[in-house]
Amino acid sequence: MGGVRTAGDLVARVMASKALRVNEAKKYVADKLGLSVFDLSDSQVMREVREELNIGHVLARPGGAIGIEAKIRIAELLDIQINSVNRFKSKLGLSLLNQK
Amino acid sequence: MGKIFSRMGDGSALWLTEDELRQELLAGTEDAADRGKISPLNEDELERLFEICASPQKVVSVEPGHEVVHSFDAGTLKFPLRGGVPVDRLGTVLAHERAFCSDTFEVGHCDYSFKPVKAIIAEERQSMEQIQLNATIPVYYGAMPNLGLYTKPDGPVDNWSELLPLGKIAEAREAQEEALELAVKDIYYVCEAMHEAGADGINLDTVGASGDADFMAALRAVEKLKSIYPEIHIEMGMAGEFVLGMHGGLEYDGIRLAGLYPHKQLQLAEKAGVDIFGPVINTKSNMSVPWNIARACTFVKACSEIAKIPIHPNAGMGVGGVPVSSTAPLDAISRASVALIEIGKADGL
Amino acid sequence: MSEKEIIASAIEAIIDGNEEKALAVARQAIELKLDLMAVLNSGFSEGIRQVGNLFERGEKFLPELIEAALIMEKVTDILNEAIMKEKATGIEKKGTMVIATVEGDVHDIGKGIVISMVKTQGVNVIDLGRDVSTDAIIAGALEHKADIIGTSALLTSTISQQKKLEDELRRRGLRERFKTIVGGAPVTQKFADKIGADAYAEDAAEAVVKVLELLERSKA
Repeated sequence: MGGVRTAGDLVARVMASKALRVNEAKKYVADKLGLSVFDLSDSQVMREVREELNIGHVLARPGGAIGIEAKIRIAELLDIQINSVNRFKSKLGLSLLNQK
Repeated sequence: MGKIFSRMGDGSALWLTEDELRQELLAGTEDAADRGKISPLNEDELERLFEICASPQKVVSVEPGHEVVHSFDAGTLKFPLRGGVPVDRLGTVLAHERAFCSDTFEVGHCDYSFKPVKAIIAEERQSMEQIQLNATIPVYYGAMPNLGLYTKPDGPVDNWSELLPLGKIAEAREAQEEALELAVKDIYYVCEAMHEAGADGINLDTVGASGDADFMAALRAVEKLKSIYPEIHIEMGMAGEFVLGMHGGLEYDGIRLAGLYPHKQLQLAEKAGVDIFGPVINTKSNMSVPWNIARACTFVKACSEIAKIPIHPNAGMGVGGVPVSSTAPLDAISRASVALIEIGKADGL
Repeated sequence: MSEKEIIASAIEAIIDGNEEKALAVARQAIELKLDLMAVLNSGFSEGIRQVGNLFERGEKFLPELIEAALIMEKVTDILNEAIMKEKATGIEKKGTMVIATVEGDVHDIGKGIVISMVKTQGVNVIDLGRDVSTDAIIAGALEHKADIIGTSALLTSTISQQKKLEDELRRRGLRERFKTIVGGAPVTQKFADKIGADAYAEDAAEAVVKVLELLERSKA
C-alpha cells in the first residue's frame, strides 16, 4: 500500500490490532484521519497529513518523528494499543492511562 | 489479436491464443474446485482474470484506492543474506520502511526456526527492542515450527522419515507427537520473549512443512500464547495447500488435520486465536501461470468468503500463482497479486 | 469370481489398506489359476498407483501409503511363491535404481515416497540418502550396477546439481550406461530435456510409470 509513504502502516496496524478485514480497516483509519479511503494510498495527500501530524514519513527532516516517537502519536491518533509503545511508557514510568 | 504473452509455472515464456488462455483459466479453477471441494470461479471472475492475464502491459495493478497491505515472511533474511547486501537487521528494517515503503516488516534469525532461537533469545530480544525504538512500521518476529529439527541427529526424537519407510508407523507417530510437544514449548518460549521485547506481532511461518504434527504444534502454541497474552498479534502462514499427513491421525478441535485445504485450515487457525491467516497455494511448475493463478484465486476466494480475520495469501516464489523461480518475473508477480486481491478478495499479501 | 472381479477386488483392497482382504484375493487368484502377473500388474499395482494419486491430492496420508506398500510386499511374496511353483522361476526384479536427494538439499520426504512406491513394482531401489554429492551418486550407481539413477531437488538453488550429474556422466563416458530420472518441485519436463535427463516425474505415482518405462527402454 506504500507504508509510511502513504497510510499502509496505519491500515496494517488497525488490521492486526482490531482483526479487521482490509476495507473495514481502511475505513477506520480514514475516519480517524478525516480523509477518504481513496486518500489513504495517495502519497501526495498522505505526505502532508503525516508531516502535519508528525507520525513518521519516508523523508528525514529535522524534528521529524521516527520510531517510537511516531508510534506514540499513532497509538493515540488511531486509538489502538501498540506493544512497543506500551512497554516504552511502562519503562519510563508513564501511565498507560495517558493513552487514549 | 495475436498470441498473448504469458509464462509457465517455472517462469519460462509462453504464448497463448485467447481460447487457450480461457481454457487454462477454466482448467485451473476446476482443478482447485475438484481438489478442495469448493466452488469454481464464476464467468465474470474468469472474464476479469482473462483481462488481467491478457493485458499487454508488462506490469498490471489494482485501481487507485484498492491497494492492500503487505506483510512479510523471512523479512530480514532476504536483503542481507539472500541478497548479500552487508547491512544489519536494523538497517534492513529501516531500508524497507523508508526506501521500499513496506507496510509491515518481519525480523527473523538466519536459521528461521524457533528451536535454534531459544539459545540466543537474549540477543534476539535486544535486537527487537532496538528495532522497535527506531521503526515506525509494524515489525513482527517470524520463524518456522520446523518439527524436523527435533529429530535425530538434530534433536532428541526418533526420525519419522526413517521409521515410516521401515513400516514402523506407530513409532513414527509417537515420535511426531513427542516432537510437537517440544515445539509448542519452544514456540511459546520464543514468542513470549519477543512479545515482551515489543514486537508488533508474531509470524508463525511455513506452518505444516513437516506435516500435520507441525500444524498441530503451531495451533497449540497459538492457543497457549493467546490464553496468556490475549493482546498478542499472531499471523500464521502455511507451507502448502493441503496439510501433509505425516501422522495422519492428529485432530484439533475434533477435526483431522491431515489433508485439510486452505479454507479448512483457516477455520482451525481462527479457533486457535490467529489474527491474520496466510494461505499457501503451490505453483505447479509444469502448468501455465494463468492456470496457477486461477487455481490460487479459487482457493483464496474460498477462504475470504468465510473468514472472520484478514487473509494474506502468500504470493512469492513458487506460491500464489507466482512462478517457481528465484527471480520470479515481475509480469507474472503483478498478475498474480492483482488477481488474488480482486478475485480472491485478499486483505493483504 | 472372474479375473476382472479379482483385479477390481485387488485394487480395492490396496486402496482400503485392507491386508486381510488383499491376502485373501491373492490366494483366491492362485486357487482359480488366474494369470497371476495380470492380477499383480493390473490389480495390486494399479491399487498402489491409485493410492499414490490420492496421497498427492491430500486424500490419503503417509502412514496409509506406507501400509499399502507393506501389504503390497506381502501380496507379492505370496504371488511370487505360486509363480515359482508354476514356472520354476519367480518374479524377477525388474531392475535396480539408485536414488538420492542432490548435494546441498536435505529435503527427502518426496524421495521416501517415491522409494516406497517404486519398490512395490518389483524394482530394487537403493536409497543413497540426502545431500549426496554427484561423485557419491555415480559411485553408488556403479557399485549397485544400477539401471536407473533417480535424483530429487526441492530448491531452485540445488536443481543445478541434476545438470551437474548429467554433465559428469557424459564427461566420464558413463552416460549411456544409466537411465536418469529427475524430480522435485522446481523441476519440469522442459528442464529435464534441457539437461539431457531421460525422464521427469511430477510426483510419486508418475515416477512409478516413468521408472517402469525406462526399464523397458533399457532392456530394448
